Amino acid sequence: MKNRLEELRKARGIKQEELADAMEVSRQTIGSLENGRYNPSILLAFKLAKYFGMSIEDIFIYEEDSE
Amino acid sequence: MKRVDYFVTVIGVLLLGTGLYLVKTIESAQGILLTLPYVLVGVGCGVFGYGMSNIISKKAIAKDASLQKRLAVEQNDERNIAIANKAKAKAYDLMTYVFGMLMLTFALMNVDLTATLLLVAAYLFVHIYGIFYRVKYEKEM
Repeated sequence: MKNRLEELRKARGIKQEELADAMEVSRQTIGSLENGRYNPSILLAFKLAKYFGMSIEDIFIYEEDSE
Repeated sequence: MKRVDYFVTVIGVLLLGTGLYLVKTIESAQGILLTLPYVLVGVGCGVFGYGMSNIISKKAIAKDASLQKRLAVEQNDERNIAIANKAKAKAYDLMTYVFGMLMLTFALMNVDLTATLLLVAAYLFVHIYGIFYRVKYEKEM
């Protein structure tokens, strides 16, 4: 699943480490999310959406044939 | 948890000590006593090592709050948990075939029936355990 995490994080001038600390996950998890290698749990998706003050759909882009 | 670590370490030392004592004192060993001392030494070393490593690692991080937090994050990280579970599932799938082949080999080699049946029982136990948890999670999720 594609997402706008890297774009949003960089726009706010936040490091991966800082976002990882705020989400209570490892920096590798943030890196994998940004690369689209890992899809987050619904809880982490909600935490990220809340952190950026957006909805989940604004951050994560659902594509029908991405599965 | 600290008490448990010390307890485990002491148990390890006791097992190791008993094993070494039996190795030195038993002269004409027969039956189970032929291997028991060495099993005790092996298990004792393992238990002692496990307990001691827990004590040392806990002492090492006790004074560093940021390190403690980082370790907790690493342990509870959902991606790390997902990776560990996926790796375990792969190993379990492989184990099914490896044990299956091993049982077949034991049967063809005419290995003692007790050993073969024990292996079959262990194999079935693991699979029944898997089915039990599948049913349990079907109800819970």
